[in-house]
Amino acid sequence: MEGFSESTSALQNPQDFHSDRPGASHSAANNNSPLVAQLQKLLFHRMLIGVNDGRFFLGVFHCIDKQGNIILQDAVEYRNTRRSATSPMDQRCLGLILIPASCRSSCHVDCSIEEQLSLLSLQK
Amino acid sequence: MADERDDARETRASLPLSIPSGDQTVWADASPLIAAACNDLQDGELVHGENFSLFAAMSALEIMDPKMDAGIESNGYRSVDEAIENGTAPLPLSSDSTVDVQCVIDIMDHLLACEATWHKGHSLAQTVFSCIYLLKIERTSAHVLLHSYCRIIRATCNAVISTVSDARTHEEEDLFTMAYGLPLKGEGDDKCLSILNSVEETISRQLRACKALNYKKKVLEDIDPLQANPDLEDGYCRALLCRIRFRKHFYHVLMCMRKSQGRGLELARKHIALCLSELSSIAKSQEFLRSNVCVSHQDDVEEGTTASGCQPVGFDASLNSRYSAPTPPRAIQILSWKRAIEYFEKLLHDLDIICSFSLEPMLEDVLHFVVQFQESQPDLVARAHLQLLLVQDGKLYGRDFFYDVISKAIALPSFARDPEFQKNEFVVQLIQLVVNLLKILCTNAAWQRRKLGKILQDWSLFSIQLELALKREFGDMLKALVDENVCLKVSKHLLTWAEEQTYWIAARFLMLGFKLELYSPNEYCMVYWYLYIILMRLLDKMQVRLSNRGDSRKKGKKKRDVSKDLTRDMIVSSPSCLLLKCYLSLSEGLAMMLAALHNESKVFEMPNVFNNEQERFIQHFELLQKAHVPDQISYFLFKESTKHALIPIIIKHNYFREAQRVSTSLKGSFSSDPQRMQELRQIEQVAEHNKIALNVINKVGTRDPSLIVSFEFTHHPVFAVAVVKRS
Repeated sequence: MEGFSESTSALQNPQDFHSDRPGASHSAANNNSPLVAQLQKLLFHRMLIGVNDGRFFLGVFHCIDKQGNIILQDAVEYRNTRRSATSPMDQRCLGLILIPASCRSSCHVDCSIEEQLSLLSLQK
Repeated sequence: MADERDDARETRASLPLSIPSGDQTVWADASPLIAAACNDLQDGELVHGENFSLFAAMSALEIMDPKMDAGIESNGYRSVDEAIENGTAPLPLSSDSTVDVQCVIDIMDHLLACEATWHKGHSLAQTVFSCIYLLKIERTSAHVLLHSYCRIIRATCNAVISTVSDARTHEEEDLFTMAYGLPLKGEGDDKCLSILNSVEETISRQLRACKALNYKKKVLEDIDPLQANPDLEDGYCRALLCRIRFRKHFYHVLMCMRKSQGRGLELARKHIALCLSELSSIAKSQEFLRSNVCVSHQDDVEEGTTASGCQPVGFDASLNSRYSAPTPPRAIQILSWKRAIEYFEKLLHDLDIICSFSLEPMLEDVLHFVVQFQESQPDLVARAHLQLLLVQDGKLYGRDFFYDVISKAIALPSFARDPEFQKNEFVVQLIQLVVNLLKILCTNAAWQRRKLGKILQDWSLFSIQLELALKREFGDMLKALVDENVCLKVSKHLLTWAEEQTYWIAARFLMLGFKLELYSPNEYCMVYWYLYIILMRLLDKMQVRLSNRGDSRKKGKKKRDVSKDLTRDMIVSSPSCLLLKCYLSLSEGLAMMLAALHNESKVFEMPNVFNNEQERFIQHFELLQKAHVPDQISYFLFKESTKHALIPIIIKHNYFREAQRVSTSLKGSFSSDPQRMQELRQIEQVAEHNKIALNVINKVGTRDPSLIVSFEFTHHPVFAVAVVKRS
């Protein structure tokens, strides 16, 4: 949590939503950045997120805030049953989860080849 | 372009292969887009779809939060298999056969402690199933001793779970039956007793052989000893035998108690007695077991979970913590071995009380028995067994139809027992109410009180509807017929009886409040006053019912010359009425005494910080008031009837003297019932102490500032005793 105390994270401090502070939180639907629009298109795609301790979470991309905290719906946790990375994986259903940006080590979306190409073009 | 392909390949390698992307789709790295897009977002802005609700999002589990994320990396093993591969649950436990036996005994002891902890309300996963051997029971098949013990443990857990979930007494203790992901059911558990028996047989032969050797007799049978050290053979054989036999008899107890119509209760009692004797042998084995341990591993021997004081091998509660719930379970403390034995002793005693119940067909006796049984605060397992015994297949003890039970309680004339009448909607409803009441009375005190408060409404609604129906259907008929209609008569009896039960429930509701310590001393006055009102109505209804019964008896015998006064005397002197009178005098006396103290010296004045007296009155009696139990009782009536109370007047009224008088006269009728005799003694003591206290207060004068009066429940759980001190 410490990493987020600097700037207000909407997802991790949801009580901010209830404050009357102008611009406390709102949907980014009106944001005119093309990047945000592209991210918006990824909503409801399956997303696979790896975290620092080696686990993976597979779920439906539900929400993201400025700090990069992601909420997945109907998430399943995958984890190695042994310390070695090649061991078989054990899974467990978790439902709605919030993955803080600080522990996210990788993030992939399930998409068509064309969508992938447009994502790759971004890296250049 | 080549670079891109390399990137893609790299990404692919870091992803687990077992998670495929969809058909025609690929896993594409979204991190760069996320990083860039987040940069473009404003503070507090969110990217989300139309189905997003912040309220729902707030309930998301936060990954890597130690309090929410059960999958977070603990420094332990990642799976049972990994733990086994690393030797945490070796088989055999040691190459030294003596050490092997020692270790098995430690496991048995720790499992007993785990089982008791589970019964006390913790999850199965954190207690019994923290045992790795139990999680992989097939592995142990070569180690017959351990295998047989694990099997019987699992079968016992299953039996207990099915009892508790059938009884549904666990609503308030729902952790109990949770067993997701645990290997609870397995093939061959039905044979657990025969495996256990053969192990028992082998060990007893080993014990015999060892004895024969000690007496330098020729060994009759050729049998390998249990372990290598001949000096310890006797002790270890005995330690194992009592543990195995305890499991066997305990399993039999559970099975016998579940037999329909209470048919197995007698046999269950025999097994209970055997269980208790094996338990005491287990307790005695501690001395031997402890003397053979070189180093004590558990710091505090008294708090240890094994007899020897050694840490048991093969337990790890963190391995299955991920199965029990998405969130990590709270850390729990396993009961010590000593406490576990005490727990099982209490459980067996409680079960014995159930088994020794005579299965009375009179509902009044059943209710009395259940209330009496609850006095000793039995735990969940015993309460579940009681409930299943009482209500089986919709019948009392699975034997008596509730219609018969109720008609016996009301003393309905036999001609009302035709099947048509049994289908009457009121009768069906009443049966449901009685079944519910019995089930509720078997739950723990706190839950019971809550539920009793709620069903009061159902009972009073039932009475109101029945009364309305009576008026509607028989209103005209009454004028026309001189002779009472049978149906009318029966319905009237039903009504009186239902009202009587309603007041009984209300009285129990109020009394449980004392046991749960829900009232503060400055509220005692209003509680006793309300209790007094309820008990008065209860007594009233009880007398009406008894006089109804007297009438029908009189008619049956056709002795019209029996004077009405005689019947009246019989009713008034019936033991249940008299006992009720004792309670009545005590509550009236206490209410008035408290009111007088309040009126004269302002002690027990209600502090007005958060809520006033009237608000508290409403809070305490809301459920009773809502159900109109009784009608037209209000805070103002309470104030009105207590505002003139003064100590000299109360002394003149002699409420406590009256309670004493009645309880003395009751001794003859209860002489055969030790529990009721005990109750009478308690009543007498409360009355005596309060009588003396009243006189002292009167002598000193309530205005004396050095006078300190407090109320304590030293003699009776419901009726307080005034303690007078001078500072």
